[in-house]
Amino acid sequence: MKSVSIRAAVLVFGLWLAAPAEAATAEAGDVAWWLWPLGLFAFSFLLGIVAVVAGVGGGVLFVPLVGGFFPFHIDFVRGAGLLLALSGALSATPALLRNGLASLRLAMPLALVGSITSIGGALIGFALPTNVVQTALGLTILAIAALMWIAGRSDHPQVPAQDPLGAAFRMHGIYHDPAAGRDVEWRVHRTPAGLVAFAGIGVLAGMFGLGAGWANIPVLNLLMGAPLKLSVGTSAFLLTVIDTSAAWIYIHRGAVLPMLVAPTIVGVMLGAKIGARLLRIAPARQVRRLVLTLLLVAGVRAVLKGLGIWN
Amino acid sequence: MQVSDEQRVYARWLDWTARIGVAVLAGAFLVYAFGFVEPQIALERLPGLWSLPLERYLELTGAPTGWQWLHFLDKGEYLCLIGVGLLGLATLVCYLRIGILLLRQRERLQAAIVALQILVLLAAAANLFTAGH
Repeated sequence: MKSVSIRAAVLVFGLWLAAPAEAATAEAGDVAWWLWPLGLFAFSFLLGIVAVVAGVGGGVLFVPLVGGFFPFHIDFVRGAGLLLALSGALSATPALLRNGLASLRLAMPLALVGSITSIGGALIGFALPTNVVQTALGLTILAIAALMWIAGRSDHPQVPAQDPLGAAFRMHGIYHDPAAGRDVEWRVHRTPAGLVAFAGIGVLAGMFGLGAGWANIPVLNLLMGAPLKLSVGTSAFLLTVIDTSAAWIYIHRGAVLPMLVAPTIVGVMLGAKIGARLLRIAPARQVRRLVLTLLLVAGVRAVLKGLGIWN
Repeated sequence: MQVSDEQRVYARWLDWTARIGVAVLAGAFLVYAFGFVEPQIALERLPGLWSLPLERYLELTGAPTGWQWLHFLDKGEYLCLIGVGLLGLATLVCYLRIGILLLRQRERLQAAIVALQILVLLAAAANLFTAGH
């Protein structure tokens, strides 16, 4: 029964995307105003389910899809996407910290660098012309899809020796792995490279309002050698700090429209709760393929929109 | 399993501040969307405005930027911004709390990182990066 509901949800999601974008834009002024926030709520609800099952943050799907297929300007969509990623991370992080699945000491130096550059990214995003932002967003989304396709993951990467900077920041500890039923000792290496990577992640998060879980996890896990579960949890904490800094830029610029932000946040949070319940029985591989397909469609759509080929 | 004191305290404070922010945002949105408080921009006008670039939207609506929205709290949409602002302040509040804890524990390097982060968040929240734009 639950599997049928998932397939139905995926089908509705696909049909939504199949609706011509021109129709959405042309009729935006003709339909009752409340249909759009309601549609956004329904879309965000489905997105919340899909994002949890596929193990991605909502922002990376929300910005290109809503920017490409809803009548809202990308400036407001980026603001809503950032707040969506922020609120999701804010609700998930307390439990992760309490259970030791996120590490403050690992995250704080990286968050500091990322938050500074995310402010820069947000300012750059507002300084660039809309078509340039759209095109760059599309190319970034296509690169993310490629990264998700090719990047591997390592449950417990080998870290032969901790680097001096990581040791100074005390980026090491022990966490309990419930699946393995044992405590896992961890430490990281390549801390300077990690700091540089988070500087880049901050720029992209701020510029496009994407959140940054898609990049945080590979950097923490594959580059710095943190265990996968700790990387996932710490990534959520990092989002709360990096996205907060950029969110203030959007708030002060007036790019936060409550009529977009509130239905989005509530929809995704409710959807994520359903997604968490479906996690055990959902066909994760198929959903992940769906997400990759959606990213490809959204990326191509954003590039074409940015280049003025498909408005 | 080792969970440090500051991590436990941070989790507790973040839990409450985030819950309050989301609850205020959701409540204020219901008040706004169902018309219990008059909006500054009529809801029927929104579909003609939300597809415009930000600069044009601001020109046409005279919507406030920076902290000026605090002068419009009798309008529905700006009530919602209280919830958004609380979400934006949650991390800052938590960093302030653990900063005190780390200083007491004489963890100087960690306290310095926390202090720098507080400065960055304060500067962003205080509109130092966009003021005068």
